Amino acid sequence: MSADRSIVFVVDDDPAMRVSLESLLRSVGYSVASFESARDFTLMQRPDLPGCLVLDVRLPGLSGLEFQRELGRSANPLPIVFITGHGDVPMSVAAMKAGAVEFLTKPFRDQELLDGVHRAIELDRRARAKATMLAELRARAATMTPREREILPLVAAGQMNKQIAQALQLSEVTVKVHRAQVMQKLRAKTVADLVRIADRLAADADANQPDDTRV
Amino acid sequence: MPSGLSPLASPPTRYQLRLAASLSALLVLALLVTAPYARQPAASTEALLPAYAAAVLVVELLTAALLMALFYVQRSRAMLLLAVGYLLSGVMAVPWALTFPGVFDALMLDGALQGTASIAAIRRLSFPLFVIAYAVLSDREFPSGSAPRIILGSIASVLAVVALATWFIVSHDDALPQFMVDAHNVSGLWRFVPAAAVALYGVGLIALGLRRRSMLDIWLMVVLFTLLIEILLISYISGGIRLSVGWWAGRFYGLTSASLVLLVLLSEATTVHARLARSVLAERRARQNRLTAMEALSASIAHEVNQPLASMVTNASAGLRWLERDQPHIDEAKAAFGRIVTEGHHASKVVTGIRTMFLKGAQERVPLDLNHLIDAVLTQCNDEARLGRISVSTALEADLPPVIGNPVQLRQVVTNLVDNAVDAMRGTAEPRFLRVTSQRHEFGEVLVAIADSGAGLAGVDKDRIFEPFFTTKPDGMGMGLMFCQSTIEAHGGRLWAVDDVPRGAIFRFTLPAPATAPRSSEPIR
Repeated sequence: MSADRSIVFVVDDDPAMRVSLESLLRSVGYSVASFESARDFTLMQRPDLPGCLVLDVRLPGLSGLEFQRELGRSANPLPIVFITGHGDVPMSVAAMKAGAVEFLTKPFRDQELLDGVHRAIELDRRARAKATMLAELRARAATMTPREREILPLVAAGQMNKQIAQALQLSEVTVKVHRAQVMQKLRAKTVADLVRIADRLAADADANQPDDTRV
Repeated sequence: MPSGLSPLASPPTRYQLRLAASLSALLVLALLVTAPYARQPAASTEALLPAYAAAVLVVELLTAALLMALFYVQRSRAMLLLAVGYLLSGVMAVPWALTFPGVFDALMLDGALQGTASIAAIRRLSFPLFVIAYAVLSDREFPSGSAPRIILGSIASVLAVVALATWFIVSHDDALPQFMVDAHNVSGLWRFVPAAAVALYGVGLIALGLRRRSMLDIWLMVVLFTLLIEILLISYISGGIRLSVGWWAGRFYGLTSASLVLLVLLSEATTVHARLARSVLAERRARQNRLTAMEALSASIAHEVNQPLASMVTNASAGLRWLERDQPHIDEAKAAFGRIVTEGHHASKVVTGIRTMFLKGAQERVPLDLNHLIDAVLTQCNDEARLGRISVSTALEADLPPVIGNPVQLRQVVTNLVDNAVDAMRGTAEPRFLRVTSQRHEFGEVLVAIADSGAGLAGVDKDRIFEPFFTTKPDGMGMGLMFCQSTIEAHGGRLWAVDDVPRGAIFRFTLPAPATAPRSSEPIR
């Protein structure tokens, strides 16, 4: 039912729990990889697939919440579904605030876990799509000349060619040529398209932190 | 009433005894110093008399109030009588001063010559009687009725008696015994009063001395001794002359001593209060600690049981989903259900372990074969060992003598140690092995060793691992090893841990195996 290639990572120190979680997730068609500790998980080369992490809060060594923070700061974060042996409200609040998708107390209903996992994978899929698109846009933007880079925000701000020419002390014709170049390089069909792309690039430049591209 | 709480009711300390003795010695010294001047008249000192009476009233009322408070707590009749004695003596000081010749002339009471002496006689003689009654009565006699009512009733009675007596004495001067020949000099009849008083003080001192149960008794002895000195000065050494140096000195010493005794009693009462407050605080803290420990324990137990339950529920869900698939996956479902069985046993083991830990009737001992017991435990732990990819081996000595012990508890000890070994190897490098050995040891003991290839005990305090709530496992209760050690020691054995070479830990325990096994032939598993 989840289909088109995704993977669930399970980190729980209790072997019995790991095996049962694996079985449950496989029974609905997910690929599963399970680990005894957060360290083991980080040592693995992650496949380039949408996925999520089912994480036990109480772990030997690095605790689940600490690992959540660490993963959040890393270059490729992953949505997390927490599971815990004891439902501790402050702990669940902390986890949810730090961006956890779900916080389940053992024993949990299988549907709750599967729903959480499904949502988490969708989030990751969207985040990955967005990241891919941004990377693509960045690549296109990189082909622009400095002059074109200068013109882009002015066009996006809705200025007429005449105004831009005046501001940059160029001829109106030159501006027109540059503008066509920008449209072409960024593959914008209309001015509205260009405005949207310019916004995304600006937002990306503002953020420019791996943290904030995270879902 | 917890007598330990009240210093007044507790046996006198050496310090208190020394203090009382010094005070008495000082009084004797004062008596000797005063004696040569005792008969000199101190003329026109009537003016001092109201002040003196007021001081006596205050001191004795305070003492009475303190004793009433003690009665309120202890409810002993003896204490009540003593309090009434003080109250009566204190209140009687009022009519005594009022009727004293030449003090309150305006009241026109001084025409009656005998009144003051009669009141003084009543005061002198009644007080030791109350003290004697206190000394004779047992602390264990409790009057019926509510304490506040008894206290109020006593106060009302004392006031009524004093009022009546005063009225009678003032209005029937002629009917009174002729104690005085004039305002300052006593008659021959008065001789009997101090003599009787001295006798009563003596009896009181002896009664208290025989009793000497509490600090209060000691201080009452000081009071009686003071009164004795006082009466000696007033009635004998000063020749019974009122307002003479000896007469005043006696009263002054008496008052000083009574005040000192009151101070001691007050400070003791304060100490009682402080001690009470402290003990209440300590008790509250102890209860808080117990609560915290219980909370920690119950949270750990809940977690221990919850863990296998969670995996059972998850396995059951998985099993159902494998069966509900369009193409039911029987093998996967069977595996899931198999894990439910294993985990169910695991949960039950946890519960048994907890119950054994708090087992009543743990004294039940039978001869048992440790090899059987080890085999049984290892069979039970088989699944877990397989799951953790641990190879289990044993080296059990063939004809091991039976040990005497509680089968349930000893089985739990071995189970805990094996579980610990399995847990210790979780996440460590392979090969993982668990090795259990048994052998005859010196002094007719049996030695069992459980060795693992886990992380070992390096960096862990080997003395602390047996303490309650000490654990290195994220999910551990920290109760297992503590239980093992206390159980083994209760069986007359020893449990200790050492590091293994090149890695891992060995837990060893010994149990005494009586050379001649009892006749009960079948070893019990």
